[in-house]
Amino acid sequence: MSELTTEFTGEYEPIIAGFLCNWCAYTAADLAGIARIKYPDNIRIIRVMCTGRVEPTFVLKALSSGADAVLVAGCHPGGCHYQEGNYKAYKRTLLLQKMLPQFGIESERFRLEFIASSEGEKFARVVGDMVAKIKELGPLSGARARIAALDGLFAQEDLAEGGTNNG
Amino acid sequence: MAAEVRTGVYVCHCGTNIADKVDVEAVSKFAGTLPGVTVSRDYKYMCSEPGQELIKKDIKELGVNRVVVASCSPRMHEPTFRRALTSAGLNGYLFEMSNIREQVSWVTRNPLQATLKAKSLISGAVRKVRYNQPLEERYVPVNPNVLVVGGGVAGLEAALKIAGSGNQVFLVEREASLGGNMAKFDKTFPTLDCAACILTPKMVEAGQHENVKLLTYSEVVQVDGFIGNFQVKVRKKARYIDINKCTGCGDCEQVCPVNTVDSFNEGLAGRKAVYKEFPQAVPNVYQITKTGIAPCRVTCPAGVNVQGYLALTRQGKFGEALALVREAMPIPAVCGRVCFHPCEGECRRGEIDQPVAISAVKRFLADQEANKGKTAPPAAAVAKSGRKVAVVGSGPAGLGAAYYLTKAGHEVVILEGKAEPGGLLRYGIPEYRLPKSVLRQEIEHIVQSGVTIRTNERLGRDFTLTNLQAEYDAVFLALGTAREQTLEIAGENLPGVQGGLEFLEAANNQPDLKLQGRVLVIGGGNAAVDAARTALRLGAENVEIVYRRTRTEMPAFAEEVLEAEREGVKFRFLTAPVRIVDQKGRAKALECQARQLGEVDAGGRRQSLPVAGSNFLLAADLIIVAAGQKVELPASLVGSIAVADRGTVEVNEHFLTNIEGVFAGGDLVSGPSSMVEAIATGKEAARMIDAYVRGQTLPARENRPRPVKESVSGEEFYKAARHEPAHLAVEKRRSLSAEVSATLSEVDVVDEAKRCLDCGVCSECLECVKVCQAQAIDHQMQDEYVDLEVGSIILATGFEILDPSAGVQWGYGRFPNVLTGLQFERLTNASGPTSGRIVTEDGREPQAVAILHCIGSRDKNYKEYCSRVCCMASLKFAHLVKDKTKAKVYEFYIDMRAYGKQYEEFYNRVQDEGVNFIRGKGAEVLEKDGHLLVRAEDTLLGAFREIPVDMVVLNTALTPRSDADAVARLFTIQRSADGFFLESHPKLEPVKTATDGIYLAGTCQGPKDIPDTVAQAAGAAAEALEKIAAGQVRVSPITAYCLEELCSGCKTCIPLCPYNAITFSEEKKVALYNEALCKGCGTCVASCPSGAAHMRNFEEEQMLEIIEGVCAL
Repeated sequence: MSELTTEFTGEYEPIIAGFLCNWCAYTAADLAGIARIKYPDNIRIIRVMCTGRVEPTFVLKALSSGADAVLVAGCHPGGCHYQEGNYKAYKRTLLLQKMLPQFGIESERFRLEFIASSEGEKFARVVGDMVAKIKELGPLSGARARIAALDGLFAQEDLAEGGTNNG
Repeated sequence: MAAEVRTGVYVCHCGTNIADKVDVEAVSKFAGTLPGVTVSRDYKYMCSEPGQELIKKDIKELGVNRVVVASCSPRMHEPTFRRALTSAGLNGYLFEMSNIREQVSWVTRNPLQATLKAKSLISGAVRKVRYNQPLEERYVPVNPNVLVVGGGVAGLEAALKIAGSGNQVFLVEREASLGGNMAKFDKTFPTLDCAACILTPKMVEAGQHENVKLLTYSEVVQVDGFIGNFQVKVRKKARYIDINKCTGCGDCEQVCPVNTVDSFNEGLAGRKAVYKEFPQAVPNVYQITKTGIAPCRVTCPAGVNVQGYLALTRQGKFGEALALVREAMPIPAVCGRVCFHPCEGECRRGEIDQPVAISAVKRFLADQEANKGKTAPPAAAVAKSGRKVAVVGSGPAGLGAAYYLTKAGHEVVILEGKAEPGGLLRYGIPEYRLPKSVLRQEIEHIVQSGVTIRTNERLGRDFTLTNLQAEYDAVFLALGTAREQTLEIAGENLPGVQGGLEFLEAANNQPDLKLQGRVLVIGGGNAAVDAARTALRLGAENVEIVYRRTRTEMPAFAEEVLEAEREGVKFRFLTAPVRIVDQKGRAKALECQARQLGEVDAGGRRQSLPVAGSNFLLAADLIIVAAGQKVELPASLVGSIAVADRGTVEVNEHFLTNIEGVFAGGDLVSGPSSMVEAIATGKEAARMIDAYVRGQTLPARENRPRPVKESVSGEEFYKAARHEPAHLAVEKRRSLSAEVSATLSEVDVVDEAKRCLDCGVCSECLECVKVCQAQAIDHQMQDEYVDLEVGSIILATGFEILDPSAGVQWGYGRFPNVLTGLQFERLTNASGPTSGRIVTEDGREPQAVAILHCIGSRDKNYKEYCSRVCCMASLKFAHLVKDKTKAKVYEFYIDMRAYGKQYEEFYNRVQDEGVNFIRGKGAEVLEKDGHLLVRAEDTLLGAFREIPVDMVVLNTALTPRSDADAVARLFTIQRSADGFFLESHPKLEPVKTATDGIYLAGTCQGPKDIPDTVAQAAGAAAEALEKIAAGQVRVSPITAYCLEELCSGCKTCIPLCPYNAITFSEEKKVALYNEALCKGCGTCVASCPSGAAHMRNFEEEQMLEIIEGVCAL
């Protein structure tokens, strides 16, 4: 939760960490800017070359560091600059989607989207949708400690891989 | 972190772009409080020279060793700032950028929120940059060869520019000729140059240039590698004509019997299956369109080229057509009468109305030859092989094998046990279906081709297999199934009981045979139906077929069953014989039992089950048992030749029996089947025997080619009813020799052949092969694959036009005089279907022509964008109509976009020519009183108008090519929202794509006119030449690497790498990372379970820092 913004707007303002791939989703976010499309400020964009680089640890780290939700956005299937990194990211997210609810974290707090470089509007829409949804869910408070513990576990044991061995 | 981190943070105002929303001073002040920050500033334009100087100065004077710039997107200025760092002696990768313009100030409404968001992003960058490491950029050499995809004016221009610089170009064009869309145009605006006159010199130059390697009729199918070093696979589609031999004379086109739609003329005209797109085509050669093998031909057991002989028949080339039939079927007159024609069941014409009467056409072809009194001379004899083959049995299998073995040059003798050749054709099929004279002629033709037939020579009686093996190089056994199945019921051997074959043979041999009284025929196959109909003709008063299942399960051909019924044959279904009643030593009645249908059995038919206590008697004067046939082997073969369970002879895939040199086929192997299937096995066996006697390896069984599968749309074809052969009136069918069905007339046959849809386009009738003096035609040609290595790729794949039938209001496809702009181009083009005359569909000059702008362009229902060329093209059309006809011309426009050099002047000129301009979009095209009516709102008059015209030209939107999506994926480039290929930057990099080394030229990037297209093509060539001249390109140092001491050797990462950059060292048991091949996606790093895989500039510690930084605020 962004406390300063919450103070300003008077309502709960979540923080959403967005891992965007350089070629599609990040370019789409730039395009939204060039087109001056307004969307909620709650998104914090982190650029990666490919969503294939996003480790489950990153998602947990974001949740334990203050984010209320995480968006991973890459190229459409078949449109990946690195051929198939987005598929790998997708497979990896299946693990997280199974795991997060077991820690009391609603599955809506983690989202994977395919956004092409020309889809600035879609990017803005996805952010808008997600912010509205997370506002309904409310802050990720109690679960954050559990996530922090889990995050630590991941860091120690390097279990980050589970379930993706087959690429 | 060895040395102390001293970070400089620089917050850009970007004029007011950032500063209007983000409190840059507050952000800068905040940044100063962050860990490791030595200095924090804000400045109006960080990307400007003074802005960059600020950074350099701090590096030199304050010892800044990490830099964060918060400004625009790193996709814009990251390289700029990296260079600034480098010039101040600091490694460019000790740098981070925060995107506070595109992703903050431009997208956030509230300044306070924008400021806060900027702070959080900078906080992440500052935390990350502390862990950044200096990285060294790498350089790779550039292959000077260039691939240009698309041979329209853009591709030609780019290719010629590069070729002119002395570098090698591969120019790949999908169509058969260079030229693209521009080759279809008549004139070009505003100068009214003839398109061909200015384009063809470029085409010819590209065709002749020593540095241009043309790959026409080809497509790129695979692209690997990266800038400087692409590996490209190109599929050269089979033209079926050798372009090195073809002289472009067009003799093949003259004789080709197949017409198809001419897509180059936008469907306004037809063309032959063998064609050249247009007179000035480069390369100036022909090609043949084949879309597959027609289903009729694929279905035919003998593989008769049905489509081919139909095509020749409709041209009146009956002799050629018949010769083509005989290529696969040596007895066409028989086949045209007795074949069960599975071809007609698969005929796609059947989806529209009825299948083509294929069998009847074949019968006509054979009969017209016979009527002429002379059979065609057998094909020119091939070289004699000196080998001898004996064929035992003269049924269809034996005849087929003998005919094709003779054609292959062998000496063939058929040995037939009976008095006359023909097997079941002679003794089993009654005269009313197959006159003996017809069969005799067919056999005569086979004999003329060189086959010797010796009758009254029976295997096991007159000679033995050993005799044959001594005398001949190979033996083919085609003994058929001569023995009748018995019912195994009491009384079967009584006088008054006959087998079906026995009866039919007697009827065939004794012209004076007479019957009377009541005849019962037991069985449901063709022999039963033939016997019943024969019995009627021989005088029986009452003929009844007794069958234990129902009509649906009868194996006899439905047509024959129907004719039998017409003639008066009765059917008693669900009835099985139990015993034959003996009265004074003669059969007098049949005891029957009622049956009912049970479950489907292993043979796919429903079982016939007895109904208890239902027995009854049927009186009969003659009982014919037609319960099927089985193999009867001569005693000498029993035990020595391998047989299957049901008594048929066993052969391997080459038709070879267990006895060396002895082959077998036909019913002897398959059990009772059909004439055409027997011919087919005879022919296939002939191929095997040919190889065998020549001492070659036996070939594999013929592979059935792929059939054309697409469904037909009923509306596209004219309806024409099938021509059915006349049938003899039932009351005239009392003689065995009166043939029931007649031969079609010549007129009907030609009409019938025209009903063929030419499913595979080329019918492979091979007429073209006969006339091609250059011997350039090869119908067996296969696609070829070519591997290319290039350093740069220029995509010039062009556009398509929107199909206006998408909007029913425009009338396209409903009214023939509603044309697209491209169709009008062809109509008015001197090399088009009307030689340039502007006429309506019925050939008259139009009195009034309407030209509608913005069809599908600037329209939210179709394409939102302006297609840019249509206003000017419309003016050109108006001028051409005015120039060539006396018609009134109406232009319906939304507003006129005449923005180019000399364009406005052209607009004025066309106005002066008397063209009527109506400002309002043509909303609807109707038909009224034989005219077209265009309805529009005239927005200048404020009135609704209806203008009657004779022709409407729809100037449709330019659209991305329909496969643009697949092409974009192939080259890993992106498309913009409108579907065209996406340029790297809409203003400053309109030629580059996001993928280095791939450039765009022409309309594949967006609609544009010819001058803009040519200019962009030259730009794309310059981009490629820049890389060639530099000789090497910089590649990113952001790659993955492996800490071998941590690697557990689990190999998880190896299959994940799309570039095969990771291998496994068996010696060290660790993964080896080849950084030269790595593209830096980081997938391997994210999946490494032991933390051995790392990625430069995206190390785990860096990622965790930035995450913590941005998520905290």
